[in-house]
Amino acid sequence: MNKADFLVELEDILQREEPCKEGDNLNDYEEWDSLSKMSVMAYYDKNFGVKVSLKDLQTVTTVEDLISLTGGKISD
Amino acid sequence: MISFTKEQFFIVTGASSGLGKATALLLNELGASVIAIARREDKLNELKSESKNPDNLYIEVKDLTEDIEGLPKYVKSLKEKYGKFSGMAYCAGIGGIKPIQAIEMADMETIFNINYFAPIFMTKGFIDRRCNIGQGASVVAIASAGAIGCDPGMTCYAGSKGALISSMQSISREVVKQGIRINCVSPTLISTDMAGEIEREYADGKYPLGLGEPIDVANMIVYLLSNKAKWLTSHNYIVDCGAII
Repeated sequence: MNKADFLVELEDILQREEPCKEGDNLNDYEEWDSLSKMSVMAYYDKNFGVKVSLKDLQTVTTVEDLISLTGGKISD
Repeated sequence: MISFTKEQFFIVTGASSGLGKATALLLNELGASVIAIARREDKLNELKSESKNPDNLYIEVKDLTEDIEGLPKYVKSLKEKYGKFSGMAYCAGIGGIKPIQAIEMADMETIFNINYFAPIFMTKGFIDRRCNIGQGASVVAIASAGAIGCDPGMTCYAGSKGALISSMQSISREVVKQGIRINCVSPTLISTDMAGEIEREYADGKYPLGLGEPIDVANMIVYLLSNKAKWLTSHNYIVDCGAII
């Protein structure tokens, strides 16, 4: 999966009306709450085979940080 | 007095008969726009012709069990067509009396698909922030008093409704912050096409106020969909004229 595709997927996971951008601060998103973090955890597990913890997601700040949590499974 | 505006769109599933039909007609009469979903087009056309404001009643022919996982996308496509929804009454469902000795996996799948899985995935579509109005949006799912106290032969049916009540409560907790309210309404046997011979026999002499009519349940559903019920969420309301107590 490339970054552009992932940003569309993330928009859907978070049910956002506005597109997600790599430099966005997740804490600026009103949708970025504990439930959407759990949805991201499920998505990462299913699509990348990557298990992230709630703690991991609490430490990320930007969408870019979120991408880096896949350990290189999202290409440019 | 409960009233709606035509800018308020409500999805009603199972709208061609019984509780769904009564709910669609009542919402429409009180001024709301209704997206009436059912499998049978002829019955939906009948519904439209019986409605007080046919211009605000929109027909969608759909078998909800055809692609259950695709239902969130279906709700999204309806949103693209009509705009954001104020509420949804999930009234589609099937009954059926079968003793445990006669139950096969296929019976359970048939009943759970329409009574449990489809409402969950319709709700998944509805609660998407992009599909509903947010604050004030309301979902009502028809469960059954059979989930609380039931007669023999209701393994599949009562199980599907009990599961629905539990799941809807959990979902209601997830979306309460968005201002979405979610409740179940659990009627006893109501005088509809679904009430078969055996069910009517069970009902004989059981209801102090007589067998309920669809409108008796529709009144409760529409109340819960309305802003009058703005403080009510996460519950299952039994509509049974005291019969199961």
